[in-house]
Amino acid sequence: MTVAMGSLLIGLGLGVVVVRRRSVAIALVTTQALVLAAIALRQAGTASDTVAGLALVMRAAALGALFFVAVARSRERQPLRARVTPMVRAGLAIVLILIFTALVPAFGLSSRHAEPVELALVAAGLTCAATRRSTLFQVLGIVLVENGLALAGIEAPHASSVIIELGVTLDLTLVVGVAALFHLRIFSEFGAGDSAALRSLRD
Amino acid sequence: MISTQALAIMVVAAPLLAAGLVIVAPSRHLTALARASAVATSALVVVLVARAVKDAAHPLVGNWIVVDAAGALLLAVTAVVGLASVLMSASYLQGAHSSFVADGHRDRVYYVVVFVFWAMLLAVPLAGNLGAAWLVVEATTATSALLVGFSGKAHALEAGWKYLILTSLGLGIALLGIAILAAGVPTGEVSGLAWGRLATFGSGRATALSAYLLIVVGLAAKIGWAPVHNWLPDAHSQAPPPVSALLSAALLPTVLLVAWRTERALAPLIGLPAAQRVLIGFGLVSLAVAVPFLWRPMAFKRLLAYSSLEHLGVMALGIGFGTPLALAGVALHIVGHAIAKALGFCAAIPLLAHEPRAARHAVSGIGRTAPALGATMGLSLGALSGLPPSPLFVSELLILAGGFESGRPWPAAIAAVLLALGFLGVAHATIDTLVGKAHRRNMTPLPGLRLVTRLGGVSMIVFVGLTAVAPWLSGSSFVAALVRGLP
Repeated sequence: MTVAMGSLLIGLGLGVVVVRRRSVAIALVTTQALVLAAIALRQAGTASDTVAGLALVMRAAALGALFFVAVARSRERQPLRARVTPMVRAGLAIVLILIFTALVPAFGLSSRHAEPVELALVAAGLTCAATRRSTLFQVLGIVLVENGLALAGIEAPHASSVIIELGVTLDLTLVVGVAALFHLRIFSEFGAGDSAALRSLRD
Repeated sequence: MISTQALAIMVVAAPLLAAGLVIVAPSRHLTALARASAVATSALVVVLVARAVKDAAHPLVGNWIVVDAAGALLLAVTAVVGLASVLMSASYLQGAHSSFVADGHRDRVYYVVVFVFWAMLLAVPLAGNLGAAWLVVEATTATSALLVGFSGKAHALEAGWKYLILTSLGLGIALLGIAILAAGVPTGEVSGLAWGRLATFGSGRATALSAYLLIVVGLAAKIGWAPVHNWLPDAHSQAPPPVSALLSAALLPTVLLVAWRTERALAPLIGLPAAQRVLIGFGLVSLAVAVPFLWRPMAFKRLLAYSSLEHLGVMALGIGFGTPLALAGVALHIVGHAIAKALGFCAAIPLLAHEPRAARHAVSGIGRTAPALGATMGLSLGALSGLPPSPLFVSELLILAGGFESGRPWPAAIAAVLLALGFLGVAHATIDTLVGKAHRRNMTPLPGLRLVTRLGGVSMIVFVGLTAVAPWLSGSSFVAALVRGLP
C-alpha cells in the first residue's frame, strides 16, 4: 500500500469525525470501504483473495445503500449538534491515533505503511462513536473501526482463511444492519436519532 | 456410534434447525415445538458433555472444533439455562404487551431469534480457533441485541443500543488484537489461529502482550467486567426475563472462556504471571465496582445484573490465580451462578405480574404476599449472596484459598473483604424481599409461577449436590484437565 493511499484512507476517516451532515459522512465511509476493496482486489494473488475482495465490494455497496435508506427514513429538521466541536473531535482523534501508534509495537503487516493506517482508522472510529450524539454517526464509528480491521486482513503477510474473512465481513455487516434497525426504531420512538435521549437508565 | 465431532456439529445445528422449524410451523404449535426442540437440543448437549467429561484427559482438538473439559462445563451450563429460558418464554410472551415486531409475528420472531442466539452460544465453547470464537461471539451480539430491545419500549431500545454499540466496539478492539496475532503466526490459513498454534507467534513478547491486552480488554466489554460494564445493568434489566437469564448465566461466562483460552494459549509467550495479573486486575475492579451497588435498594433484575458483575469478577480472580483449588472453585462458581441467576431471572416473570413496580423499584415482602414466589427469589438471592451452605460460598472459599496458594495473598485478602461486603448487601436484599414490608398486590394466578417453583425445587437439589461434591473437586481428573488446558 502506498503512502498516498494510506493518507487518503486516514483523510476519509478524519472527515467522518468532523463533518456535520450524515449523508456526507456516509459518502466518505462508503468511499473508504470501496478504496479498501480496490486495494484488496489489486493485491489479490489467489482465488480466495479475489473472493475476499469481492466480498468487500459487496459490503461497501450494502452498507452504503443501508445507510442512505436509514437517512431517508429518518429525516431530521436540522443536523444534531455534537457534544464537542469539530476541531476538538479532530484533535481527540489525532491524539488517540498518536497514542495507538506509540503503544502498539510493529506487528508485521506486509506493507509498513499499513500498520499506522489501520490503527488510525480504529482510533478515528472510536472517537466518532464516543463524541457524536447522532446514533447514525455512532454506527459509522463502528464501520470505521471495521474498515481499519479489513485493512489488516488485506495486508496480512500470510494467506488467511477465506472462511474467517468472509465470516468477519458478514458478521460485521449483520451487526451494522441491526444497529441501523435500532436507529430507525429510536427515531420513531424519540423523534430524533439522538443518543442524548438514551440516558434515562441510571443508578 | 456418532463421532464426537459430528455430535458437536449436531449440538449447534439442532437449535438452528429448531429456528427453521419455528419459521414454518403453524402458530398454535409454536410453544410445543419450541419446548420439544429445546429438550432435544439439551439431550444432545448432555450426550456430548458426558463424552467430553469421560475423555477429559484426551480432548478432541481440531482446527475448527474443540471438545474439552472447560468447553463441556460451559456447554452444560448453556444447555441448562437455554432449556429453562425456552420453557419460561411462553409465560413471558403471555404477559408481554408490546414488542419490536408486529403482534402477529411476535412469538415466532422471538423464538427464532432465541434459538439462533442459543446456537451461537453453544458454538462458542466448541470453537477450535480464536478467529472462529470471535465470529460466534460477534454473532451473539447481533441476535441478543434484538432480544434486549424486543419489547420495543423506550428503555429497552436504550438498553439495546448501549449494548450493541459498546460490545461491538469492544469486539472491534479484540479483533484488532486477533489481527496482530494472525500477522505474526508463521502458518497462514485457519490453523494459524488454532488455540495450540498461537504460541508459535513470532513477532516478539511486546507485540504478543499488546495483542493479548487488546483481546482481553475487548472481550471485557462483552463479559461485563468493570470498568467497561456500563451496558450490563441496563441490558439485563430491560431484556425479557428468559433472555436476561441467557445473557447473564450463559453468555457472560461463555465469553469468559474465550478470554481464559487466550490467556492459556499466549502464556508461553508473555509469561503466565503477566497474563494472570490482567485477569486478577479485572476481577478486583469488577468486585470493587459491584459492591456499592449491591448495598443500594434496587429493582430486582438490576440487582441481579450487578450481582453478575460481582460473580464474573470472582471467576476472573479464580482463573487469574490458576491453581487446582482456584480452578475447582471457578468450575463450581460457573455452574452455581448459572443456576441461581437463571432461577432469579425466571422468577422475575411472575414477580412483574404480581408487583409491576418491581420493574423500576426495589420490592419487599414478596414472601408475605406470594410465599412460593418469595421462596424461589429467596433461594436465588441466598445462593448468589454466598450464604452457607450455598455452592457459591464453597466456590468463593476455594478461589480465595487458591489465591493464597498461588502466592498472591493481597489480591486474595482484598477479594475476601469485598466478597464479605457484597454478601451483606445481597443478604439484606434477600431478607427485605422475603419478610420486608408488604404492599397490596395483584393476587390473581401468576404466569409461570408453577414452573418457576418447580425449577426452584430442582435448583435446590442441584445446589445441595454441588456443595456435597465440592470438597473432592480440586483433586478430580476433571479439574486436572482444566489445569492442563488444551494441548
